[in-house]
Amino acid sequence: MTVTETPVTSEAARPAPRRRRRSANRSSRDAWVLVLPALIPVLILSVVPLARGVYLGFTDSRAGLGIKTHVIGFANFSKLWHNSLLLESFRIGLIWAVSVTLLQFLLALGLALLLNEDLRLRWLARTLALIPWAMSPVIVAILWKLLLSPTVGPIDITLNRLHISQTHINWLGDFNTALPAVIIVGVWVGMPQTTITLLAGLQGIPSELQEAAAVDGANTWDRFFHITLPHLRPIIFAITSLDFIWNFNSFGLVYVLTAGGPGGKTMLPMLFAYNEAFRYGNFGYAAAMGDVMVLVVVVFLGLYLRAGLRRSEA
Amino acid sequence: MRTRTTVALAAVATTAAALLSACSSSGGDSSGGKVTLRFQSLAFQKPTVAAVKTIVDTWNKAHPDIQVKLTQGSWDSIHDQLVTQFEGGTAPDIVHDDAADLAGFAQQGYLADLSGNLSSAVKNSVPKGVWDTVSQGGKIFAAPTLLQSYVVFANTDLLAKDHIAVPTGSTLTWDQLQSMAKQATTAGAHGLGWGLKSPTATMLTLGLNFGGKYFSGSGQDATVSVGDNENQVPQRIHAMAYDDKSIDPTSLTQSGTDVLPNFYAGKDAMVVGGNYVAQQITEQAPKNFHWAVLPPLAGTSADQAADPQVLAVSQASKHAKQATQFIDYFMSADSLAKVGEGDWLIPTTAAARDAVQSSTGGKSGWTQTLAGAQYQVSAPFQSVTNYPRWKDQIATPAFQQYLANKISLSDLDKKLSDGWKQVNS
Amino acid sequence: MTRRRPMTRAAQYVALAAYLVFLGFPLLWLLSMSLKSPRELASIAPQLIPKHFHWSNYSDALSEQGLLRAGLNSLLVAIASTALTIAVALPAAYALGRFKTRLRGIATGWILVSQLFPVVLIVIPLFMILRSLHLLNSLVGLTLVYVVWTLPFALWMLRGYVAALPPDLEEAAAVDGASRPRILVSIVLPLLRPGIVATAMFAFISSWNEFFFALVLLRGNAQTLPLSLSLFVGSEGQVSLGPLAAAAVLATIPSLLVFAVIQRRLTSGLLAGAVKG
Repeated sequence: MTVTETPVTSEAARPAPRRRRRSANRSSRDAWVLVLPALIPVLILSVVPLARGVYLGFTDSRAGLGIKTHVIGFANFSKLWHNSLLLESFRIGLIWAVSVTLLQFLLALGLALLLNEDLRLRWLARTLALIPWAMSPVIVAILWKLLLSPTVGPIDITLNRLHISQTHINWLGDFNTALPAVIIVGVWVGMPQTTITLLAGLQGIPSELQEAAAVDGANTWDRFFHITLPHLRPIIFAITSLDFIWNFNSFGLVYVLTAGGPGGKTMLPMLFAYNEAFRYGNFGYAAAMGDVMVLVVVVFLGLYLRAGLRRSEA
Repeated sequence: MRTRTTVALAAVATTAAALLSACSSSGGDSSGGKVTLRFQSLAFQKPTVAAVKTIVDTWNKAHPDIQVKLTQGSWDSIHDQLVTQFEGGTAPDIVHDDAADLAGFAQQGYLADLSGNLSSAVKNSVPKGVWDTVSQGGKIFAAPTLLQSYVVFANTDLLAKDHIAVPTGSTLTWDQLQSMAKQATTAGAHGLGWGLKSPTATMLTLGLNFGGKYFSGSGQDATVSVGDNENQVPQRIHAMAYDDKSIDPTSLTQSGTDVLPNFYAGKDAMVVGGNYVAQQITEQAPKNFHWAVLPPLAGTSADQAADPQVLAVSQASKHAKQATQFIDYFMSADSLAKVGEGDWLIPTTAAARDAVQSSTGGKSGWTQTLAGAQYQVSAPFQSVTNYPRWKDQIATPAFQQYLANKISLSDLDKKLSDGWKQVNS
Repeated sequence: MTRRRPMTRAAQYVALAAYLVFLGFPLLWLLSMSLKSPRELASIAPQLIPKHFHWSNYSDALSEQGLLRAGLNSLLVAIASTALTIAVALPAAYALGRFKTRLRGIATGWILVSQLFPVVLIVIPLFMILRSLHLLNSLVGLTLVYVVWTLPFALWMLRGYVAALPPDLEEAAAVDGASRPRILVSIVLPLLRPGIVATAMFAFISSWNEFFFALVLLRGNAQTLPLSLSLFVGSEGQVSLGPLAAAAVLATIPSLLVFAVIQRRLTSGLLAGAVKG
């Protein structure tokens, strides 16, 4: 995510060069000073464990008392390449991540626009919109499992009464509906963070611009596409890329909802890696999966951000 | 600029490394002869939590030099906790878990051998079949406390309405179950509801009813063979669901607890579940609900694979002897009986079972529940190294597909055996 | 604010209501569950309003599993980690957003990898490090971990907000003779307020709801709220549903209160008129 810095205007020509030279020296030093407090804890508690995690992918690290770890190069990775179940989980993971991120973004944008309007009881609406965020993940999964239950859940019964579905369907247990159902829950869970971020971004757009454009005769759609969206662009990219990353890496929610079933239809890659590390004790193999997941998402994001940059320069 | 950056980064990194190399001193658990043991209990039901607390308090009063510190854990997260705690050497002295889960940790060398320290009274009071589930390579890695078996619960009012006699023999054959279910299936109700969202445990545990062992050999060299014996249970369930239409097909995709509401509402005349379901029925069923526990299921035998709750001692514990002493006390008849009653599970020792029988009077299905203890044996799959992986990645999806009628029985067999080659490579 | 036609306004209210039903109904259902008896929770014709109000679920929830103590712990940790995260991330995000330094590349690399690499896989190395620093089983250690692991998100987001601010404003103020610190405090900071508020909300809720690190790094004496909630879940899917729902409702209220208070600060009226031509 690069920032295109607007060049200094030529209004003050003579002080400019001196200021620029001074700020070039100062900017590096300033940057270091501003970053320093974060550095040591980050190094110890984040960089070191991450480095070890990534490194483990190249070893045969396993659980066990007194087990020695040996570097085995790319052996884990070639094993991964032939693990058809893992590859299938990547496919499901990408479908899941793209669907949830896209739906989340579209719905959240709509909600953010609404919450930006001068509606009555706006404070209440803004608070209620954050309900999914306020609830502990421990309870969210259990709650949605109950909501979608064909026996004690209100959703199935309501759909039956409205004649949208004919019989009782176990939405989380049916082979055809499990992934879509899980995606909807994923969207529900992730909406607040996206909504709030977009709302904060919308707040940063000067209302004068909108009013000036309205005076000039632009209608709502024009204003949306030519003022709102361009202003939101950096924030949209920031939050959708983060959302995609989180969604791809999520597994706690789906684990409780379906445990990867039925028949592996909702087996996400993170669940695979978690099982490998925690249930079978193969830390090295699981770390290799993690390394590949990082790579896949980086490639995906790289393409995404490059496409976004190209469009902004057009 | 570049050198300064590098130097700065190097300085920070060295500081970090220096901080990291600070050795940790192992906390002293004993001071002047007094020993403190950490015991994490997963007890969940209120009476069980109270029973465990009483046991610990009574022990602490009687043994001022061996104090037990009780903390509360959760079944849901115990496995993850143990993985990290064993790796980091901070596991509690006394570990509470179930045998299947601990088998992996035992293989990794994290559990102490109890055979030297357990009292012979305890060793003799638990049947050998159950000891086999907690033994590896001649060593005992845990003490089994409570057993559970799958039983059939029946709505006696509904059965009476359909003129079906409640069986009273010592066992209930699968054929009997099938015909009862068929008879009890009417327009408004199914004969049987069975929560098979996680089917593998049920299939492998009940497989022993027909001698279906699935595995031969043990450890890394085990092999899978899926033949007629193994196919009995899946085939019968499938037939009941799709030929007789006596099993509620939705229930097959739900968990055991989720099928209970239909049971209470009279939509399923019978349900199959673990013993502990009796506790939920007592708490949740409507006032005029009359139910019974049917005799243990039997095919060619009534054997079921045992997966007892256990207490184990961590290898890293400095007080294995004292910890085992506490476990001995925990397994005394009165203590174990109270814990079993609270959890609605079967104590492993005969003395404790008798205590439960007299304390409950055999009501609410306790007599049949306790009778199931004699059929608990160990099964080959419990000592197979890569069983968890085969279960998660091959068996569970395959069984789910078969029960959803998406694949045939021969497909199921093929998936199970080919899948083993895949995960055991 | 631009005025809207009444038809548009009505449509907006309807849309908002639809959103709020989708987002809020589960909490309503949870509330309903928290007031039902075990019998009613197991009945197959669920209704929103309980037949009898089973208040003992709440007293059960409060008396069991040390809920209040855990809630207090969670609150302390959440507030501390939020404050620290913002304090540390803000200057760093400004530096990364405005200055061209090699740090930017390194920081981006670290942010990406720390968000991408499965957290469950670094938990054991992290556990070992905390053990050697004697920070296991302590709320301080947990707070530090939360700060360090919320930083990537905070940096990424704040950098985005900083980037969205036109540099003209700062340059204009510099031309007018204001010193750099003064520019930062009186011009940039207020403009970043919505972004800071959004990031703070996220940091708070991440810490309040976090489960896995707390599970592994705490050891039974100190508990956070999610850990306490998990104690209501037994084995094989047995759940004390009534008390769990009650505990969950109680656990949700503080977050909602924090949101209600903070959300007002999401507005920023200061940008209107600040940009010159």
